[in-house]
Amino acid sequence: MSVTAGRLSAPRRKPRESLDPAAMLALPGTLYLLIAFALPLLLLLGASLFPDGGFSLRYYLEFFGDSFHWRVMGNTLGAALWTTGWCLLLGYPTAFALARSRGLVQAVLLISMILPLSVGVVVKAFAWTIVLRTDGVLNQFLTGFGIIDEPLRLLFTEAGLIFGATNIFLPFMVLPIYSVVKLIDPRLQDAGATLGAGPVYRFFHITVPLTMPGVIAGIAFVFSLAVSMYVIPSLLIGERFPTLSTLTARSYLYLRNQALGSTSASVLLMIAVAVVLASSVLTRRWSHR
Amino acid sequence: MAAALPLESTRRDGYLAVQGVTKRFRGVTVMENLDLAVGQGEFVSLLGPSGCGKTTLLRLIAGLLRAEAGRILLDGQDLTRLPAHRRRVGVVFQNYALFPHLTVAGNVAFGLRARKTPEAEIRDTVRRNLSLVHMESFHDRSVLALSGGQQQRVAVARALAVRPRLLLLDEPFSALDRKLRETMQMELRGLLRELDITAVFVTHDQDEALIMSDRIAVMNDGRIEQFADPTSIYTRPASAFVLDFVGTASRLAGTARGVEEGVLTVDTGAGPVRARGGFLPGRGVRVAVRPEALLLGPAPDAAHNELRLRLRDRVFLGSRLVLYFHAGGEDAVLAEVAPARGAGLQPGDEVTLHWPVTDTLVFPA
Repeated sequence: MSVTAGRLSAPRRKPRESLDPAAMLALPGTLYLLIAFALPLLLLLGASLFPDGGFSLRYYLEFFGDSFHWRVMGNTLGAALWTTGWCLLLGYPTAFALARSRGLVQAVLLISMILPLSVGVVVKAFAWTIVLRTDGVLNQFLTGFGIIDEPLRLLFTEAGLIFGATNIFLPFMVLPIYSVVKLIDPRLQDAGATLGAGPVYRFFHITVPLTMPGVIAGIAFVFSLAVSMYVIPSLLIGERFPTLSTLTARSYLYLRNQALGSTSASVLLMIAVAVVLASSVLTRRWSHR
Repeated sequence: MAAALPLESTRRDGYLAVQGVTKRFRGVTVMENLDLAVGQGEFVSLLGPSGCGKTTLLRLIAGLLRAEAGRILLDGQDLTRLPAHRRRVGVVFQNYALFPHLTVAGNVAFGLRARKTPEAEIRDTVRRNLSLVHMESFHDRSVLALSGGQQQRVAVARALAVRPRLLLLDEPFSALDRKLRETMQMELRGLLRELDITAVFVTHDQDEALIMSDRIAVMNDGRIEQFADPTSIYTRPASAFVLDFVGTASRLAGTARGVEEGVLTVDTGAGPVRARGGFLPGRGVRVAVRPEALLLGPAPDAAHNELRLRLRDRVFLGSRLVLYFHAGGEDAVLAEVAPARGAGLQPGDEVTLHWPVTDTLVFPA
């Protein structure tokens, strides 16, 4: 191989993709999802796009023409973004603690991450109402220690919603990051240090890029869960803070407005699909660098 | 003896100075009061079995571990309290520890970018260092697509790119197959000599240490047993451990009988053997001879030892023939001769051997 040719063409071989027989193993699951998941969603999408048998964007134009719906979308995206942000902030160091700890400590951390997943969201959300009430545990603690004089209003506020949602979705941020951190060779830090890189430089140029696939997956998980959460806002904030999920449910259950319900559900679906697609593109780009 | 050396030489010798270093892991002392002095431009190997503390010493010098006591000086500067990233001590790690998210060039540029070197200078330095290790055509490749030998070259280029004051190598050849390992050893030795880089090299492979080093520090149990040039290590091992670890040797257990004109006579199971040394009569000792010192036939004069032993086995190694003899208990006698000389010998034959008294080594039992 000549030096110049190698330098100019910069060959980067990609493995040839061929159909793996093992892919057939996904067939039963795929069929099930097609019938149980994709078909109803298509019907839902159809209901919003074909109001009277013919194709029309009428519902969407109505939907996006109403400033109330923009507020609903703002609420939904805002709550999801804040929740994702807090989960990332709290989850990133937790994932490292989990990956670097050993033995009993690691077992306890891992169980405390996974066990809450087995408790239903309704139960957890109710538990949070007890914690966040004006005479709740948190306020009693804060006033009792003289940190605040008056009990804070936490329940039925945005802050309370984000607080509760972060708690419930945290494991979905921690676990994907943990699974990536665990695979990073700790000697890369040593290598960076002996090359003259200080701790901050090493964090941003070794740790962050290598954990990026896990971070992207965690963000995609938490964001798509938070953008479509229904029980948590219903219990922790209520009617005052409508989101796409609560709006969809309300239009179907109380208003009997199928058109609005299917439209808002479809908007929500498109947001979720966009997030999943974006994260998969980002992950691919990251691992092919 | 040190006083007789010119001043120049003693200054050179102190380029890297490890002084009284003690290291404990969870209360267990793995290294106590260790000293080592390496001269500028010198290639020094730390040789020893796994767990002897050689990698610990390397990590202490690199700043990846902190010593409980003692000092480490480099070119007159006290490194002891300096973190690894301020020491300008390069390391080539055992499994290279290349950054998987960066290209070959990105890996080599890492240290330069961390030092905020201008991009134009980085480009030149990266190209220059990649060409030193003959990897310039791999500039934009992912390091994941490289073979073991190529990864090792990149690791060397990456470490050299920041112009370290000292290069540490932690068993860099252990993952390579034998043929490639020999090529890389000679290449790396040549490169470091050409660039006049002081290097400390960790290995458990005695051949590697003998081939590459200016001096070898044989380590055992957190101590340096002997620190000398390869020839002295081989021909004048300072302890039974060094003798056993570097090369093979015949070993005979015996009892010191007495010293006459500096020559000690030892009674062994195979007969009396004379050696240079002083041990009190009655003291248990071990006599050893390197296999190539043993010659076939009776001793020509009084300056040689002579033994008559039964041949147990013969192993043909191409250029050499190794003869194993029957000896009692823990004892072992082996001779390495030219294949033609031992052609007629068969296992079971009685063979007379001789070797110079001066080539006989004696250690406390």
